[in-house]
Amino acid sequence: MSSSNIYVGLEIGTSKVCLVVGEVRSDGAIKILGVGQHPSAGVRKGEVVDSETVQTCLHDALSRAEERSDVEINTVFLAVTGSHIESLNNRGTIRVADEQMEITPEDLEEVKKIARDVPIPKENGYVHSIIQHYYVDGQEKVLNPLGMVGQKIEADYHIIHGTKTRIQNAIKCVREVPLEVEDIVFSPVAAAQVVLNREAKNEGALLLDIGGGTTDYVCFVDGAVVASGCVAIGGDHITNDIALVLKIPLSRAEKLKVAHGSASLKNIAHGEISIEGESGKTVEQELLNQIMNARATELLTVISEPLRKQGVLDKLGKGIFLTGGSSLMKGIGDVTSDIFGVPVQESDSAAMSGPAALFENPQYATPVGLIRYAQLLDEQRPKKGALSKLGQRFEKILGGKR
Amino acid sequence: MIEYDESVHGELQLDSDLGVKVIGVGGAGANILDRMALEGSDVAELLAVNTDVRALKNSVSSEKIQLGSTLLKGMGTGGDPALGKQAALEAVDGIREAVRGAGMVFVCVGLGGGTGSGAAPEICRIAKEEGVFLVVFATLPFSFEGQRRMDQAEKSLGTIGRYADAVITFDNDRMGELIVPKDGVTQAFAAADKIISQSIRATMNIVFRPGIIHIGMDDLLAALESRNSRCLFGYGVSKGDNRSHEAVEQAMKCPLLDRGKLLSEAKAVLVQVSGGDNMTLFEVQMVMEEVSKHVGSETQILFGTGTDKRLGSALAVTIISSVPGPAVSSVGDEGEAETISSPVSLGMSADEAVAPVATIKLPESKPEPEEITKKASAPAMEQVDLPAAVESVDDFEDMTAPIGEGLGDDTVEEDETLVFEPLDDDDEEEPAYAPVFESDEEPAEVSDGRNPIARAIEDSQVADTGSIAPIQPADLDPAEEDDAGHVEAVTESSQKITLTRVVGSGNTGRIKTRSPGDGDSRGPVMPPTKPPATPPENLEEDDEIPDDVKQQQELLQLEPVKSKGRFAKTDPTIVDGEDLDVPTFLRKNK
Repeated sequence: MSSSNIYVGLEIGTSKVCLVVGEVRSDGAIKILGVGQHPSAGVRKGEVVDSETVQTCLHDALSRAEERSDVEINTVFLAVTGSHIESLNNRGTIRVADEQMEITPEDLEEVKKIARDVPIPKENGYVHSIIQHYYVDGQEKVLNPLGMVGQKIEADYHIIHGTKTRIQNAIKCVREVPLEVEDIVFSPVAAAQVVLNREAKNEGALLLDIGGGTTDYVCFVDGAVVASGCVAIGGDHITNDIALVLKIPLSRAEKLKVAHGSASLKNIAHGEISIEGESGKTVEQELLNQIMNARATELLTVISEPLRKQGVLDKLGKGIFLTGGSSLMKGIGDVTSDIFGVPVQESDSAAMSGPAALFENPQYATPVGLIRYAQLLDEQRPKKGALSKLGQRFEKILGGKR
Repeated sequence: MIEYDESVHGELQLDSDLGVKVIGVGGAGANILDRMALEGSDVAELLAVNTDVRALKNSVSSEKIQLGSTLLKGMGTGGDPALGKQAALEAVDGIREAVRGAGMVFVCVGLGGGTGSGAAPEICRIAKEEGVFLVVFATLPFSFEGQRRMDQAEKSLGTIGRYADAVITFDNDRMGELIVPKDGVTQAFAAADKIISQSIRATMNIVFRPGIIHIGMDDLLAALESRNSRCLFGYGVSKGDNRSHEAVEQAMKCPLLDRGKLLSEAKAVLVQVSGGDNMTLFEVQMVMEEVSKHVGSETQILFGTGTDKRLGSALAVTIISSVPGPAVSSVGDEGEAETISSPVSLGMSADEAVAPVATIKLPESKPEPEEITKKASAPAMEQVDLPAAVESVDDFEDMTAPIGEGLGDDTVEEDETLVFEPLDDDDEEEPAYAPVFESDEEPAEVSDGRNPIARAIEDSQVADTGSIAPIQPADLDPAEEDDAGHVEAVTESSQKITLTRVVGSGNTGRIKTRSPGDGDSRGPVMPPTKPPATPPENLEEDDEIPDDVKQQQELLQLEPVKSKGRFAKTDPTIVDGEDLDVPTFLRKNK
């Protein structure tokens, strides 16, 4: 217990509810102990719309995860997403008092407070404030100014914020299961922890998590998050498009998409595909691809435009990493690299032991990423954190016995 | 080192050549004066003007003028603006005496009642005739005070707009939202008075206090440029190590600024940083950096800084700006329309030379604008070539031509007017105005009006914010705009703080809406002098807007149901006005 910590990552996605139990060993490696998942219902566009239904799914996934990992799950790290989540970069500046010699942690707290003080809508709350770089008296990109001597500290922060109530709804839903939410993490930030390694983050990389209901992205340049966001369009939209255009039920559209569809217009095998279950009804491969391509192109353009304007696309040395269930779609890589003008990398998972094969599947990037995120949080927290966590756990055990 | 005379440079020079006078008209005006006096006296002279002698007695201001001492015998006007006006005319000499020699006059007035609505326009006229720089701070009545008072207020505001260099209006409804609704009435009014007195003080300080980088009247006017707009005002003072940041933060917290959000829409923002002698350049820089975060890249930042010994170790930041936003339904309108209809008053504030003409012509159109204009315009309508009308227009052209290019354009339009005029009749005018009204109001509110309200309400922790916000866009039936009973519409249309500026460029502004109540009288007023050339122009613009709105509404409400499939009941995902839930394939192939 003292040398390793067990964390649970929970993602309530549009297509599935997924719990991953992972053990962080003393050497930093993550061992996946178990996974529980259940197709989700009551989630639209990454957000809970029917709390009860979601809880049923969550219960199911929870019992499976507990069974497989043989761990009693009490607290989870929850991934949140939704179109309400927005991000911005802001710089905070403070002046260190003259008589003070070194930069203290309080100064850094102060500068963070100032950097965070940006006009976000009243109904919004902060999800993350991620430090990008410090500047001390104009010296650029100081990683850790603690203990340095300086008069003026500036800090660039990437601030991710979202509508409080909508985030609270997700948390409330989980708490009613009951599970305690230890922290919330914006989905792509979590996924980036496993999909992008340090090298990719330093050289510049864009993570695109194309899920069922949303597409989340986070962009790293020079090891820091420079952009992130969520567009409420995902694989479900493609299925929906196919269903509406071809006038077939959603379930068949989904099958058609997975079995035959491609987002690319290149190398189309001309021919007709017979639609399962609809006797005699066929669809041209070209039409199917056009429907999917139109959607994928639009989705990626919506994401790429602001990034291009921000000027980060030129700085992506490592290119684009695709993850999320819909990234398994054929041809999506081609379309992505065409639209962004940046090569797309095949994502490979970071060092992990256990039933790893499962987690090379991009569908699990986010929940596994949550575990890594938890691990990083723990590393950042000094020993005290671990101790207090132990204390908390004791409290819980005692409380449970009472 | 170059020496300079600190006593000249470091002190206010108000007493010498530019006196500042703050005039409080009526009960509300007196309250603002009292508030100003309470908060520490500035060099400005305070003058209370009222009909009610008891109220006047209670005022703390140094100078007092009683209006209508023979007419009303020390009683109030009983809410009748006509009486207020007569009372002011009785005391015209006293008022003239009081404003004479002042460089700048601020008039504070609560519109809607008898004294405020009736006397304030007269006082403004007199002040203008004396050639002072005139800024009017006016509060509009609460909507619960009834439509009649609102009408009186707006009529009066229109007239004031003709004389004043700048009119800043504060809406009481909005003021009410700035504080917790359960707070006492006293607090509500005190809060309103406080904001106004702060605004006045800040304006004075900015313009008159010497600065290393000086801000002048021109900068101030530039910051308040847009017509019919919300005035944004923020003021913050702080001490200590991190005072620059804290001062900006405080300024941004001012209710009118809405945490700086509205600044991003402003065309020009005036920022004044002042501090004691120990203010550093670094601090000024930090303030400006903070502020620039909130404004758009296109925004012009008018910057001024100066040291003020009185601040000691504190640093003060003042932010003044305006956003072209929702205007009170017919604020500018009457002013503007009439500005145009009596060519004389046009250039007034811009050019001193015009002033004398103004004084000659003004009495004509002054008492009871409705009737007078009716009389005046009736003949003009029947016979277009009435020499008087033509002459006045000629005069106007001559005068305005040198004033500004913007005006030049308009004079061309005026020319067309004369030719055009006979073709127009009342019947055409009336419907022509209706769409202007709708469209001008609606989009503005959808974009600007709603959020501040929602936020303000949230501020006061009223639970149903959510229900209000979504309802409004859909509910905004333009026709209901007129309906005083419609609560949402009323709160919306009346919640903003508007600012009207009547300067040289005055009549280049668009002819705004008018309140339906005035519609009857306006019909006949319009044709003789008001250019029909302009209304059609507006019509085109405005016709387009409702169309857009309609289209958008269709897109939002009808289409999705047809073709959104499983996303029919979800929050729409709208990017660039397109509903992305509708299959791209269908949208692109249309």
